[in-house]
Amino acid sequence: MPIRVAWGIQHPMSGHLTLYLDVDGDIVLNTEADVGYTHRGLEKIAEYRNFIQYVPVIERACDFDASNFALGYVRAVEALMGIEVPERAKYLRVIAAELSRIMSHLYAQALLSMTGGFETMTVWSANDRELILDLLERLSGARVTHTYIIPGGVRADIPKGFKEKAYDVLNYLERRIWDYYKMLFQNKTFQDRTMGVGVLSKQDAIELGITGPNLRASGVDFDVRRDDPYEAYDKLDFEVVVEKEGDSYARALVRFYEIAQSIKIIKQALKDLPEGPIRCKTPPMLPRGETYTRIESGRGELGVYIVGSGTNKPYRLKISAPSFRNLAGLVYLCRDIPMGDIPVIYYSLDILLLDVDR
Amino acid sequence: MDVERLLEEIKTKLSDVLVEAKIDRPRYASIKVKPEGMVKAATLLKENGFNHPLSVSGVDYPDRGEVEVVYHVSCLDSKSLVALKTALPRGQPSMPSLREIWRGVHFHERETWEMLGVKFEGHPELKRFLLQEDWEEGVYPLRKEFKLKPES
Repeated sequence: MPIRVAWGIQHPMSGHLTLYLDVDGDIVLNTEADVGYTHRGLEKIAEYRNFIQYVPVIERACDFDASNFALGYVRAVEALMGIEVPERAKYLRVIAAELSRIMSHLYAQALLSMTGGFETMTVWSANDRELILDLLERLSGARVTHTYIIPGGVRADIPKGFKEKAYDVLNYLERRIWDYYKMLFQNKTFQDRTMGVGVLSKQDAIELGITGPNLRASGVDFDVRRDDPYEAYDKLDFEVVVEKEGDSYARALVRFYEIAQSIKIIKQALKDLPEGPIRCKTPPMLPRGETYTRIESGRGELGVYIVGSGTNKPYRLKISAPSFRNLAGLVYLCRDIPMGDIPVIYYSLDILLLDVDR
Repeated sequence: MDVERLLEEIKTKLSDVLVEAKIDRPRYASIKVKPEGMVKAATLLKENGFNHPLSVSGVDYPDRGEVEVVYHVSCLDSKSLVALKTALPRGQPSMPSLREIWRGVHFHERETWEMLGVKFEGHPELKRFLLQEDWEEGVYPLRKEFKLKPES
């Protein structure tokens, strides 16, 4: 006889959501998600802010991947205005965005390993994430919400000694991630805990609108950075990581390999960094019209739909957030599974509730 | 299917409901149809490989008396993206749900319903999602008449 359990808003995972579970013993038959506990109305706020004031606001939509979110919004504004930023700014943006992606992936890995009982791995990932945060602090002055990428370019040039420090950290991390591999991905217990758990088929992943690492873990070879390139990504050499299995292990593994690819991208960007200005002038008003731009953020594709009306405020801004789409994956996968698998699926999908609620 | 060929096909097959179809920039197209043609247009898009729904947005235009609903759907093979739009009357905005065609739009439509009051007919779960349970009936935060109060 199934009973309905409200699991949340306090639950063993991070973030505020309630899952209504129909359970029969330990088996979850059906799941409904109730979100919105951290809804701040960011889309409405956009209609009341000068477009430049909104950059720090959108970073709060996903403060574990702040620079990518800022980049998504700024690109929409620039596409609407039809401006092209200087070459040096493009490379600096790539550096900030990729550091932000490593930060996001390490955090995801820390949480996933915590739920599997691998606290050592949690501490390792969190510790190494600090090094990335330090780099971002040198670059932008802030650890988590950087507001480094602004309409027209970036806010500041790289400081003195940044390159050397960055190479140090990246060289260290390049070696260090193979410790993660041995510690976590080759660990039999972790494999048993994640392999075959939450299998999302290719067809389902596409139809549910899943994007980013979760889509690639289901065997879809698509990455906005390569397939719809923005900033300097078309000039940089990197591989798109694809796994076929579609289970929690594959999703974790895609993130792991993407850290390595991000390191590669940042090193190239630092090496090829062209000389020149870091900012260009932007018009004071958003022109009439509308545009949709997308970028690859740490959690998946971030789409920003912006409508301008000839004032300095957006007429309408829609943040199509990756975790919002991944939530559909969570609800779909949490059926006919033991209740104990929910945290593993949740963390392997890398859902951030701030980003769902906006 | 790439957007150029898609637009040709749309122009021939949907001529009765088509309002506007244009290419915004390479690989990005927008198609505007009458509300009654949405299901037909969405089916045609899906048949042509646009099976990856990304976003549903609503835009309120009080001066035109319309609420515009925009579906952004991508095609992973041709790496292109289409915005499928329709304008609904602002008083009673209602259109058939496209959930049967693109099941990924389930939550997106639910959000558009509660934020702009667009009723998606045939949607099985039109209830509060991001807003609180006791949110006042008939108040839609993303409509233009909903004003934010200045902070004191």
